[in-house]
Amino acid sequence: MTALTSARTKRRIAPYLFVAPFVAVFLAFSIYPLIFTARLSFTNWRGFGAAEWVGWDNYTYLLGNAGFWSSLGNSSVLWMLIIPVQLVLALLAAVLLNNSKLRLRGFYRVAFIVPFVTPLVAIAQIWVVVFDQNYGAVNGLLNIIGLPDVGWLTTSEWSKPTLALLFIWKTTGFIVLILLSGLQSIDASVYEAASLDGASPARKLWSMTVPLLRRTIMFAVILQTLAVFQMFAEPFVVTQGGPYGSTTTAGYYLYNHITRADLGTGAANSFLLVIIVMALSLVFVRLLRAKD
Amino acid sequence: MSTSTLTQPTFQSVAATPTPPTRSRPRPAIASQLFLALLTIGFLAPVFWALLSAFKPANEIIRSPLSFDPSTFNLDNYLAMFHDVPIGSGFLNTGIVLLIKGAITLFFAPLAAFAFAKYNFAAKNLIFGTVLITLMLPTIVLIIPLLLEMKELGWVNTYQALILPGAIDAFAIFWMRQVISAVPDELLDAARVDGCGEFGIFWRVVLPVIRPGLAGLAVLTIMNIYNDFVWPVVIASSDQMATLQVVLSTLAQNITGNRIGADYATVTGELLAASSVALIPLLVLFIALQRHFINGILAGSVKG
Repeated sequence: MTALTSARTKRRIAPYLFVAPFVAVFLAFSIYPLIFTARLSFTNWRGFGAAEWVGWDNYTYLLGNAGFWSSLGNSSVLWMLIIPVQLVLALLAAVLLNNSKLRLRGFYRVAFIVPFVTPLVAIAQIWVVVFDQNYGAVNGLLNIIGLPDVGWLTTSEWSKPTLALLFIWKTTGFIVLILLSGLQSIDASVYEAASLDGASPARKLWSMTVPLLRRTIMFAVILQTLAVFQMFAEPFVVTQGGPYGSTTTAGYYLYNHITRADLGTGAANSFLLVIIVMALSLVFVRLLRAKD
Repeated sequence: MSTSTLTQPTFQSVAATPTPPTRSRPRPAIASQLFLALLTIGFLAPVFWALLSAFKPANEIIRSPLSFDPSTFNLDNYLAMFHDVPIGSGFLNTGIVLLIKGAITLFFAPLAAFAFAKYNFAAKNLIFGTVLITLMLPTIVLIIPLLLEMKELGWVNTYQALILPGAIDAFAIFWMRQVISAVPDELLDAARVDGCGEFGIFWRVVLPVIRPGLAGLAVLTIMNIYNDFVWPVVIASSDQMATLQVVLSTLAQNITGNRIGADYATVTGELLAASSVALIPLLVLFIALQRHFINGILAGSVKG
């Protein structure tokens, strides 16, 4: 009897012990800093001395600041350059790789993931060399087919597409995997019904696969939206936010507050960014619901 | 339910225009192979270009970036890079963080996930709900307060600061909970009947059963820690504490600082050598474990 009760007590206590280490780390390094940021965003603290309460000043300053809006604009342009291209490429690749009779299927799956496992800083450094205006391999290729040099990293027209290309290169393979996992959960019988009716592959893709896959597609879009608006290491290594601020992304702009020790403004900027990213995610979720 | 309303009109329109079957097969196959091959070239070219170019004489890398003459290949860029750049200490720091932080994640994340998946306890839903919300938060939000917290604790430029924040991360918990939910309860109960303690069930039953998922988490965790950049560059930028990625990011400054009159070619050669050295361990690891990793993601992701 006592042995049974003690076993039951142990079973009741065990889960608390199991989550305790996680909860401790989570409270100390996620929840506490989050609350701290909220308070900090209403002060003008610069990292030392007493913090002065300034109310909504940091928020109104940012909302009236051209630099803040242009960082959001830059991130939005990057989003538009990245997401549609990446989705189309990843969707086509995932559908093709989902066919178990495809030749070299295993090889492609590995090749597509190579960029994803490549350290971002290393590939960003390689990007700097490859896209160099005077000595880069890309301009070398252009010259061979008779085209003039392009200032990939030195002109504000080309700096965003060059960064977008880096992002697409780095993350498309992972999106292919996510879409593949969604495709694998689609019942094959749905397709058999369609092939009986003689649907062409393009038609099947657009009117069957895409609607059936829309939850997974939305998940991928939300994931990538978060990543694009936080993009930091790419502009930090490749362009330092330039030329002429054309690659100062929302994430990079936030970092600038930290380097200037303008911590109150930085905290307010963080929260504005969270609100924007969450609002965007909600819009996508709504779009998804509307279709349901 | 809703999908049938979306697809029904298609069936009708498709049925109205039947296409000849089987005969048009070969052409789509060639087109798909072409598409996949072009993507593959695009994905692999930058990496191969860098790996090969690092062996070329520095001047040749910039004078003719597209030609490769194996007879001129040498290790000069590597030797110069090892001399100018503290890449060894970068590897050492990354290795230490990888070992400790990786072990913490791979032990404590499944342990907490086990509690979320298989037990009922007070505040369970509250805690797990908070975990889900923090998954949505940009990590960059926490940078400023974490930095201040580290200053307060006196942890700036220490291993603790590199290891503890994010050590048991929300995504790992979320993923492992899904994996452990699939373990049958009967298995756990059978172990209990045999007199196994609660932790014994986790250690001797759950962990062995979820080994494939755990392998996937291991690869992803190693990759994330090895590639982490934003937090290390903020918290550990001193020469002694810089991780491999931080060393890489300030490489050009390092080379030009250590070598008066270093020209663009020299810097580029050493940069490609350093990037190659940083690339290779992960590529080898990934190719060795790719099956676990790909299957892990395919199993643990959201379903359409």
